[in-house]
Amino acid sequence: MKRRELLRAGAVAGAVAALRPTLAAPQTAAKSPELTPAQSGVDASQELSAANWKPLFLDEHQNETLIILSDLIIPATDTPGAKEALVNRFIDLVLAAETHDRRRSFLDSLAYLDGEGMRRYKAAFRYLKRDEQDDLLHSLAYPRAGSNWTGEGAAPDIGHGHFEKLKQQIAGAYYSSQIGQRELGWDGNFAHGPYQGCEHPEGSHK
Amino acid sequence: MIRLYSPSFSLSPSRASDDPLQQTYDAIVVGSGATGGWAAKQLAEAGLKVALLEAGRAVSPSEFTEHMPAYKLKYRDHSPEVARTRPVQKQCYACMEYNYEWFVNDLENPYSTPAGKPFTWQRLRILGGRSLVWGRQSYRLSDTDFKAASRDGYGDDWPFSYADLAPYYDIVEKYVGITGAAEGDPMLPDGQFLPPMKMSCGEILMRERVKAQFGHTVTIGRAAVLTQVHNGRAACHYCGPCERGCSTFSYFSSPFTTVKDALKSGNCTLITNAVVSHIDMDNATNKARSVTFVDRLTRQTKEVRGKSVILCAQALESTRILLNSSTREYPNGLANSSGTLGRYLMDHVVGGGAGGRLPELKVPPSANEPQRPNGIYVARFRNTPTSAKHPRFIRGYGFQGGADVDFNLGAEGYGTSFKKAVKEGFYQIGLGAFGESLARWDNFIEIDPSLKDAWGIPALRINMTHGENEAALMEDAAATAAEMLEATGAKDIKVQANVEMPGMAIHELGTARMGADPKKSVLTPFNQTHDVKNVFVMDGASFVSSACQNPTLTMMAITVRACANLIDRFHKNDV
Repeated sequence: MKRRELLRAGAVAGAVAALRPTLAAPQTAAKSPELTPAQSGVDASQELSAANWKPLFLDEHQNETLIILSDLIIPATDTPGAKEALVNRFIDLVLAAETHDRRRSFLDSLAYLDGEGMRRYKAAFRYLKRDEQDDLLHSLAYPRAGSNWTGEGAAPDIGHGHFEKLKQQIAGAYYSSQIGQRELGWDGNFAHGPYQGCEHPEGSHK
Repeated sequence: MIRLYSPSFSLSPSRASDDPLQQTYDAIVVGSGATGGWAAKQLAEAGLKVALLEAGRAVSPSEFTEHMPAYKLKYRDHSPEVARTRPVQKQCYACMEYNYEWFVNDLENPYSTPAGKPFTWQRLRILGGRSLVWGRQSYRLSDTDFKAASRDGYGDDWPFSYADLAPYYDIVEKYVGITGAAEGDPMLPDGQFLPPMKMSCGEILMRERVKAQFGHTVTIGRAAVLTQVHNGRAACHYCGPCERGCSTFSYFSSPFTTVKDALKSGNCTLITNAVVSHIDMDNATNKARSVTFVDRLTRQTKEVRGKSVILCAQALESTRILLNSSTREYPNGLANSSGTLGRYLMDHVVGGGAGGRLPELKVPPSANEPQRPNGIYVARFRNTPTSAKHPRFIRGYGFQGGADVDFNLGAEGYGTSFKKAVKEGFYQIGLGAFGESLARWDNFIEIDPSLKDAWGIPALRINMTHGENEAALMEDAAATAAEMLEATGAKDIKVQANVEMPGMAIHELGTARMGADPKKSVLTPFNQTHDVKNVFVMDGASFVSSACQNPTLTMMAITVRACANLIDRFHKNDV
């Protein structure tokens, strides 16, 4: 938020206006190449919604698989889901800039879903019926416990590991998007101060 | 006794020339961060002609990004540019896609470490330095810290006591504005506080239950953030991410406070983009006569003349300048007749603590809550004058932490139930320790003979490991944190007893220690080098021991004290 916008925010307007004379910096920075895009005021939030968008890294099958998976993990309810938040496009952008190892790791996890789809239902994940996809994800979504009978610990849970990796990427992309921020109820303002802390009577924090 | 000086008093008549390099300054201050800002302000306001050298560029409020949501960042803080140019700097949470240009480019600013001894060195080269992004926690040291060696026999005492420094803590706190609560705990002397920030329900529970069960002090963090209008700056508006700048200047950073005052005095000339290489000596008088720097942009070598040189470049950088200023008389680094220059490097040990959940508090999370830029603090309770001597380690640690409700992005499952669980949130509570790092001879910095930075200036080789005492502190901290969380009612407690790599606390201290004995120290108790009368080091390099409290407040107080002494010397013509 620019200072002008901040001035509009009622909560701090008085304080900021009172301070105006001191807002001048000791030196005014000339237009400098040594600023991050954010420091230069670049707003990149619309870049992913371009009409002619094409994946930078994922192939068509991987991209379609990711769209379906993200929609299952964070579906549209009374609020938009991961598909509407263009989670696949953001993940593609990040992967395009990632190290070889991290890209490989993501693709391995995505391919694991196809492998399990083939093993169980003879088709890659994106071609499964909705209830098959759901069954497959349910079998991966929760960590396996050890044996209640012998007391032995659980074997390494490879499927759950792949699921968690994909889910974390999808959830991170969704909740950092504008749609995701709205989903969490953000009202678009940056200042909600001052911090009031606990206001319960002594001995009661319910 | 603190003397006040008239701002109109002038020791050196102004010259007609406009070229800042054609003048001889009373003082050349190297570095414009927390301590350099103070040195420039104190000396310039006392009438001395000051040149303030900053290796980086100027900074403007127009580049603050604290109110920009992450979705406006192209990579939402996963920028490959940060990974490419700041692989070391990005180990600090504060170096992010928003502001990475404030941090040094690691490719241009190399340093080396021996195999198996990693050290992370976080640096900013811009007006204000790390004061732009610091954690703002501000605690006084006590005589348990200044006189620790006398109590437990390890290392050396500081060459002054708490009573000597207390008036300067007062000056700094009154100017900076420190929010905090007085507790009367002798391990954490009270100061000149602005009203304290409020505690959350979970933090109040912890404060009450830990006091009842263990007697420890759990207090709201003491932070350099304003809770009311103070010295012309507005109170905090609780937007949260101070490290991206503050459009109301509500947290303390030098460009908009001390440096601004220094420039306003009319006695301070700010020279940016001045990458200092070394100090030039006049061997006949055994005094420094100038400072040589490389213009960061043109790479030209330049010289600025002064009657005194004050290094405030950050502990390792100040010592690097001295090491790079060797002469025939000082072959192992300027002002190093003691052989201690570069030695006794410290950085608080971190990695011990615990986290959990407080299920008894059922508060829904909200994205529209004020973001308090502060946490809670647990005062040191090990090896105090009133506690039993611990059998496994000397010194102690303090905790920083907090308790609050948050969205549960790690909720299990998927689909609509996951989406719902995220918003139900959970109440988390955690404590992380900062432990004392013992001053050890074999933790040291030296010049790497085969490594130079992008400006041709010899770079450092940093040799540091944490030792057994630090490891024992973190192990104990994990256990005591778990006990305190348990007493508070926390569930799902997980402990950490790690020893993170040195440098992680970003509290580098030592390498040019103070002391009364010139054979065992580099600096006098007033930060003057024993060997060269007009060279001073006023930053963390001067610390004799690290204590466990965040050090910036003490660095600033030491600087103000040393400047008062230096001004006195100028008056007596004794520089």
